[in-house]
Amino acid sequence: MPTPLDLIKKKRAEAVSRIIGKGYLSTKRVYVGMATCEIAAGSKDVMEVFQKAISLGLTDVYLSQKGCAGRCNLEPTVEVIESGKSPVKYGKVDKDRAIQIIERHLKNGQVIQEWVID
Amino acid sequence: MATTYGIIVCDGTRCINSGARTLTLALQEQLDRHGLRDRVTISLSGCLGMCDKGPILVVNPGYTIYGNVTEADIPEIVEEHLVHRRPLARLAIQEDHLYNRFFRVFGDENFFGKQMRIALRNCGIIDPENLDDYLSLRGFEALAKVLTELTPEQVVAEVEKSGLRGRGGAGFPTGLKWKFTAAQKATPKYVICNADEGDPGAFMDRSAIEGDPHTVVEGMAIGGYAVGASKGIVYIRAEYPLAIRRITKAIEDARAHGLLGENILGSDFSFDIEIRLGAGAFVCGEETALIHSIEGARGMPRPRPPYPSVQGLFGRPTLINNVETWANIPVVLLDGANWFRTVGTENSKGTKVFALAGKVVNTGLIEVPMGTTLREIIYEVGGGIPDGKKFKAVQTGGPSGGCLPEGYLDTSIDYDSLARAGSIMGSGGMIVIDEDSCMVDIAKFFLEFTQNESCGKCTPCREGTKRMLEILVRITEGKGQPGDIEKLERLGDTIQKASLCGLGQSAPNPVLSTIKNFREEYEEHIHEKRCRARACTNLVTYEITEKCVGCGACRRVCPVGAITGAAKKLHVIDQDKCVKCGMCFNACKFDAIVKV
Amino acid sequence: MDNSKITITINNQPYKVDPGQTVMQAADQCGYRIPRLCYHPKLSIEGACRVCIVQIEGVRNYVASCAYPVADGMKIHTNTKELRRARRDIVELLLDNHPMDCHTCDRDSNCELQRLAYSMGIRQRHFEGERKHYEIDLSSTSVIRDPDKCILCGRCVRMCSEIQGVHCLTQAHRGFNTVVMPAYNLPFAETVCTTCGQCINVCPTASFVEKNYTQDLFEKLNDPDLITVAQVAPSVRAAIGEGFGLPPGRNMEGQIAATLRHMGFNYVFDTQFSADLTIMEEASEFLERVQSKGPLPLITSCSSAWMKYLEQFYPDLIENISTAKSPMSMASAMIKTYFAEKIKVDPKKILSVAFMCCTAKKYEAARPELEVRGMRTTDIVITTRELAWMAKSAGIDFVNIKPEKFDEPLGLSSGAGAIFGVTGGVMEAAIRTAYELYTGETLIDIELNDIRGFKGIKEAKVVLDGQELRLAVAHGLGNAHEVLEMVRKDRSRFHFVEVMGCPGGCIGGGGQPYATANSIPLDEECLRLRAQALYGLDREKTIRRSHENPDVQRLYKEFLGRPLSEKSHELLHTHYKTHLPKGIVSPNLKVV
Repeated sequence: MPTPLDLIKKKRAEAVSRIIGKGYLSTKRVYVGMATCEIAAGSKDVMEVFQKAISLGLTDVYLSQKGCAGRCNLEPTVEVIESGKSPVKYGKVDKDRAIQIIERHLKNGQVIQEWVID
Repeated sequence: MATTYGIIVCDGTRCINSGARTLTLALQEQLDRHGLRDRVTISLSGCLGMCDKGPILVVNPGYTIYGNVTEADIPEIVEEHLVHRRPLARLAIQEDHLYNRFFRVFGDENFFGKQMRIALRNCGIIDPENLDDYLSLRGFEALAKVLTELTPEQVVAEVEKSGLRGRGGAGFPTGLKWKFTAAQKATPKYVICNADEGDPGAFMDRSAIEGDPHTVVEGMAIGGYAVGASKGIVYIRAEYPLAIRRITKAIEDARAHGLLGENILGSDFSFDIEIRLGAGAFVCGEETALIHSIEGARGMPRPRPPYPSVQGLFGRPTLINNVETWANIPVVLLDGANWFRTVGTENSKGTKVFALAGKVVNTGLIEVPMGTTLREIIYEVGGGIPDGKKFKAVQTGGPSGGCLPEGYLDTSIDYDSLARAGSIMGSGGMIVIDEDSCMVDIAKFFLEFTQNESCGKCTPCREGTKRMLEILVRITEGKGQPGDIEKLERLGDTIQKASLCGLGQSAPNPVLSTIKNFREEYEEHIHEKRCRARACTNLVTYEITEKCVGCGACRRVCPVGAITGAAKKLHVIDQDKCVKCGMCFNACKFDAIVKV
Repeated sequence: MDNSKITITINNQPYKVDPGQTVMQAADQCGYRIPRLCYHPKLSIEGACRVCIVQIEGVRNYVASCAYPVADGMKIHTNTKELRRARRDIVELLLDNHPMDCHTCDRDSNCELQRLAYSMGIRQRHFEGERKHYEIDLSSTSVIRDPDKCILCGRCVRMCSEIQGVHCLTQAHRGFNTVVMPAYNLPFAETVCTTCGQCINVCPTASFVEKNYTQDLFEKLNDPDLITVAQVAPSVRAAIGEGFGLPPGRNMEGQIAATLRHMGFNYVFDTQFSADLTIMEEASEFLERVQSKGPLPLITSCSSAWMKYLEQFYPDLIENISTAKSPMSMASAMIKTYFAEKIKVDPKKILSVAFMCCTAKKYEAARPELEVRGMRTTDIVITTRELAWMAKSAGIDFVNIKPEKFDEPLGLSSGAGAIFGVTGGVMEAAIRTAYELYTGETLIDIELNDIRGFKGIKEAKVVLDGQELRLAVAHGLGNAHEVLEMVRKDRSRFHFVEVMGCPGGCIGGGGQPYATANSIPLDEECLRLRAQALYGLDREKTIRRSHENPDVQRLYKEFLGRPLSEKSHELLHTHYKTHLPKGIVSPNLKVV
C-alpha cells in the first residue's frame, strides 16, 4: 500500500513532467506579474502583448504568470529566465516596453539594462 | 513512448566556479555514447540556491538533485539513472529547503539581501493558478509526511516546539492554541483561516493568497489533522476578488488531486474547505466577530473566556489562525521545528511579512527574520527616505499600533521589543513618515478609521473613540484647548482597559503613542495654533515670496478671489479671505508660494 | 459540600464560593453589588456596557464581571481608584450621547441610567460633543421607540430574540451611528413586532415606552355626554401595588374599583367575568372539536401578541385557533350590546375602557375584525403603569382608599376567571368547565399542578370519561415556537394547547409596573408573588368554576342563548388571517 508520502512524491514527478511537457525547458521562461497590484499597474495589457506574440509565432518561450514579488513601486514586473544566463527582472513594464523586450531581448538576446531592477 | 529526460545544470556563479560548465560537455558526450541525445534535453538555469553543494545537477522527471557533481560522476549518472532508470543514491541530495529559494534566483540583492522568504517562499516564483507548480516545489509533501509519519499529537508538539506565534497581530503561541483545540472532546471541530485583512493599506495576506494560495490550503489541512477537524473555512474579505478566485481554484484543484476531500492521499483523514466572504467590516477580523459572521449573526465580538478553541463556531472547538500563520506551517513540518527555531529571536521565532509603505524609496512587500532592526528595514531594504527628506517616525501595526520616532530605529522587530517600545507588531503594516507629515493628523486618520469600524457594542469604544476623535479634529482645526491632551490620555486609558475586544483596546494606541513621542506637536497645535509639518490645513498660511514674477496664475485659480496683484508685480494673498484650499500653491510654476 | 468550593479574594477579603459561576454572581453572594447595566439573569451574557468591569490581579485589562468565570485563587478588586474613574467615565460617555431631558421624561425617577449616573458621582461633563438624533417611531398602536434615549445595552434585542423568538430588533450600522432598529428600519407597525411590550419591560431607559392614551382618557372622562365603562384585567390587580412602592403580590382589586369611580367612571366591571364567559365558549368549542373530530389541537387565542405571532409565522395553524375572542374583547362586546340595552343607552355614547397589564391589547382593540355591528368595542386600553400614573396625577390616594366592589351585571367572577392571568390558568379554567360539560360530573381536584409553575413548556394529561386528553401550556413566544413545531410535526400529539405571549403569562405583561431600584425587570420572585395573588384569589372565592358563575348563566339565559349560538358567534367570536410583513415568507404558502 503506498503511503501518502509515496503518493505525493509520485504526484510531484507527474507534475514536473507536465510542466516540462508545456515547454518549461525551453530556452526562455517569461513570467508576468499578475497580482492585484500588478494588474492595477497595467500588467494585463503586458500579458496580452506576450500572448499575442506567441500566437503570432514567437517560439521557444514558456509564458506564465506569477504572484506578487514584493516590488510594489516598480510594477508591472516581468521576469525573463534564460538557460545559461542570470535571471533578468524588468520593472515598470508597459505595452511599449513589452514589445521592446520581445524584440530586443527575446528575439535578439539583448538585455535592456536601463529597465532592469537590481 | 520512451521517457524523455530533462537535465538542468546549475549555472550560478559558484557552481560555474566549481566546474559546472565542464559537466555539460561531459553529459553530451555520454548521451551520445548511449544514443540518448534526442531523448534528453540539457538546460542551464540560474542559481538554484544550493551553492554549498555545487555543482548541482537536476534530473527530471523526479526532480532528483545531484550535488558536488564532478566530471567523473557523469558516466555513472547517465548509465545508472538515464539508461537503467536507477537514480544514484550516493550523489543525490535528500533535502531541498523550501525557503530562501527566492532571491538567489532573482538577484536584486539590495532589496532581497536581508529578507528571508518562508511564508512568501513561492510568491513570485509559481503560477498561483497552477497546482503543478506548487507540487513541483514539494507542495503538499508536508501534509503527506504528516499523514504518513506523525500522529496528531506529534504534529502539535512540532508546531509548539517551533515557537511560531500568531501572525495576525496578537502573537499568541500557535502551538499552544493547537494544543488547546486538540484537547477538546466536543465535535465537530473547525479550522478557520482569517483572511479578513482589514488594516487600511495592508496587503500582506492578499499578496500571500494571490501569490501562493496552496500553502494556506496545505497548512489548514495539517491543522485539521492535528486538532481533529474535518472542515475548514476560509473567511476572506469580499474586497479581494482575485484572491478569492485564486484560492477557490486552489481548493478545487486540490480536491481533484485527492489532496482535499475524503481519504486524502489514501489515508483515513478527510478534510475539506469552504469559502465565506466578508461584507466590509473591519471588526469581522476579530476572531469572535468573524465566527458570529460565519454563523449568520451580526459581526460583533463577545467576551472571552470561553475562547474559540473551546467554544467557537456553532459552539464547537475552533482553531482560527491568520493567513501568514498557515503559510508557515508546511515549512515548520517539512524543514522542521529545529530549523525554524534558528530563525528569529529568543521569543519570536521565524520571519514576519511587512507591507513597507509611505515615504521610503522601495515600497513593497518584504519578509524579514524576526530580530531585524527597523533601521535595517527602512534604510537598507527600503532604501531610505526619498527626496532628501528627514525621517520622522515609523508606524507599525496599522490602526492598532503606534508611531516610533528616530530614537527607536534600532529596535528589533519582534513581538516583545515592539510592545516595549510602545507599538505593536500587528499584522505587518509599516508606514514610514517623514517631516512633511503631521503626527496629530496621522493619529486622527487612524482614529477616524477605528471609530467608523467600531461595531458599536461596547460603550468605551463606540462613544469613547468618537469623543477622542472630536478632540483631535478640534486640535487639527486650530480649536484645541488647554486640557485636551490630558482628556485624550484619560479617555484613551479607559478605552484601552475597558473595551470588550481588541479593536477598542488598541484604538487609542496611535493617539497615545504620538502624544508620548511627539507631545510638542500637540502642544504647538493647541497653544501656538501651529502645525510644524504644515499638513493641517487650518493651521497653514500660504504666502507669496519674492520669487513671484506676477504671472497671475494663482490669482486666476483662487476660488474666493483672495489674491490681488498687478501683472508682473508681486502678488499678495489676503489672509482673511483665504480658505487654505492650496490651489494657488499647486498652480505656481515658480515655487513662489510657500506654506508657513 | 465544602470541599467543592473554591477560594477567591474580593478586595483583599477571602471568600469561599462555588466554582462554575461568574465573578458577578460570586460577588453578589458575598455582599458586593457591582454596578451593572446590560446584564440580565434571564438573557444571554452580552458584556457590552462595560459598567460591571473589575480588576483581576494578573490580568492586564479590566474584565466584565458578568462574563468572567471565577477560578480558585483569583484575586478580584471591585472598587479601586482606577475602576471608579473608568466606570464614571463610561457612564458619562453614555450620558454625553443621551438627551438631557430627565424632567420631562417618562422614566424620570425610575430610570436605570439616572440611578447609575447618581451612584457614579458624575457632577461634571468632560467629553461632551455631538449627540445622536433619530426620528421617534410613533407608528405602533402599542409601543413607542425613541432611539435617542437608547444606550445600546442590547437587552431589547436579546429579549426579543432569545426569549420571545420574534427577532424584530437588532443593532445596525457601526461606530457612532450604531442604532437598535427593526429590519429595514421600517416603522414598528409594519414589522414583525408582536406588540408584546417585553422590550419596554427590560429597557433601562425610556427608549421603549407604551403608547400613552391617558390624556385622551382624562379628556373623555370629563365629557358629560359619554357613559364611561371600565373593565379591569386580573393581572392588573396583582401588580399595581408595585407602582406605589408596595411589595408585589397584593391583590388590590377593591382599590382599583374605587379609584376608577373616583376618577369619574360610571361603571366598573371585571374582566374576570368575561374570562368566565370565554371559558364557556372555548370549552364548548373544545368539546365540539373533540366529538366531531374537528381540527385539533385547539389552541387558545386570548393573548394578542401571540395572535400576531401566529398570523405572521404559523398561518398554517390558523384553523386550530379558538375563534373565541379574548376576555377583554368579549367584555367590550357585551358592554356595547347586552349592557347598553340593559341601561337603555345608545352604544355610540358608551366609552369602553379596558385596564390591562398588556400592551398588545392596544393593538387588539384596534383590529377591525373585532368590531361589532360596525362599532369598535374597546375604545381605549390603559396599562397598569398608565393607571398608576393616572391615580397619582388625578390626586387619588390609591393605597389608602376604601376598597369597593365591581358593578353588576359584568362584575362577578369565579376563581377560574381570576387565574387567567397566570400561565396555565386558561387551560386550568377550561378543564374545570369542560370536564363537567362533558361528563356531567364536577371535577373535584381543580388545581392542576402539572400546568402551574414557570417551566417554559408544561405538559399534562387529563382523562375525560375514559378518553385521555393531552394538554400543553407554553408561555413566552420562544416557547410557543417550540410547541408549535411539535404540533406541526404531529397534530395528534396534543388536544389542547394554551399559549401566552409573555413570560409568566399576563402577569409578566408589557404594561406592568417597572422594576424599582431594588429589583430587576421580570424578576422571577416578583412574578411568583403576582401569580400567588391570583391563585390566592381563586382559593378565596366560593365559586371556582366558570360555568357556576350565576351572572354568566343569566347572560346566556337573557341574551346569548347558549354557548356557540348564532348570537354568541356574532358577538363573541372572530377570525384570523395570514399577515406577512416585509421579509417574512410563510413556509406553507407558495410565493407568487
